[in-house]
Amino acid sequence: MSTDSNEMELTERLKLIEDMIAEGRHGQESWGWSFVLWGVAYCIATAWATWGHSNLAWPVTMIAAGVMTGVIASRMSHGHPETTLGRALGAVWMAMGISLMVVLVCLAASGRYDTHVFVAIVGAMLGAAHATSAIILKWKMQFFCALVWLAACVTACFGSDTAVAVAFFAATFFGQISFGIYAMILEARRRKQREAAHA
Amino acid sequence: MPELPELNPVIHGKLRLALLTLLAGVEEAEFTWLREKTGATDGNLGAQLLKLEEAGYVAVEKKFVQRKPQSLYRMTEAGRTALTEYVRALKQLLGAEL
Repeated sequence: MSTDSNEMELTERLKLIEDMIAEGRHGQESWGWSFVLWGVAYCIATAWATWGHSNLAWPVTMIAAGVMTGVIASRMSHGHPETTLGRALGAVWMAMGISLMVVLVCLAASGRYDTHVFVAIVGAMLGAAHATSAIILKWKMQFFCALVWLAACVTACFGSDTAVAVAFFAATFFGQISFGIYAMILEARRRKQREAAHA
Repeated sequence: MPELPELNPVIHGKLRLALLTLLAGVEEAEFTWLREKTGATDGNLGAQLLKLEEAGYVAVEKKFVQRKPQSLYRMTEAGRTALTEYVRALKQLLGAEL
């Protein structure tokens, strides 16, 4: 075998390794829907708590959203193996969700809960989770979401009741719903590109 | 001139290299997922996975899920070391940065 063909074969192997690494990463990255789901859940819970005057609004909506996330995620991941990256990102969001639930339930039970505290905690927690994911994925758009949630957190510390409400809805809209839709569009585009490449 | 390294023949096969690289990025993978990603036939895929298993590079767990047989493959530590050494040797042979 000539040196050139030998080198070509080795280059082919290198390309194969790169392709398989990229291929292995595909298919586990469909999480855009969960941001939309949780964003919508925040809106439903807020509306129910405001107009329904119910203390059950937030816990019931959050538990329902959690169950739906679990069911949809397990159905979507069926047959797709878990990557180390996916597990790391999932761990960040799961730990954030559990911490948030514990803190908010304790605050509600102790009677030390108010809108400012609620938005400050939710903003800080979601900001941290978005920022961690953004740093791991090197994704500027998600880092923008982190900044939006942190801005809501700062507003909750210093702003009026109206400012807090506006900041929370803006963060929910831009940092969850819009971001989720954007991620879903990117995922659909990537799926189409993969299908075209495989065709 | 330094001696050039030899490439591990078990890993050098195209499909086996593809399988090990895929398994390197996941915790464990089903047979069907590996088939989908590589586009290999059942027979060829099974034969190459068996070779990797015999070399101690992958471990397989067979079970039944909802009465359907399921084969879960994962990379062993020996497989990870072998793949790392293969990539290092490839890099050295090509004289290029990965």
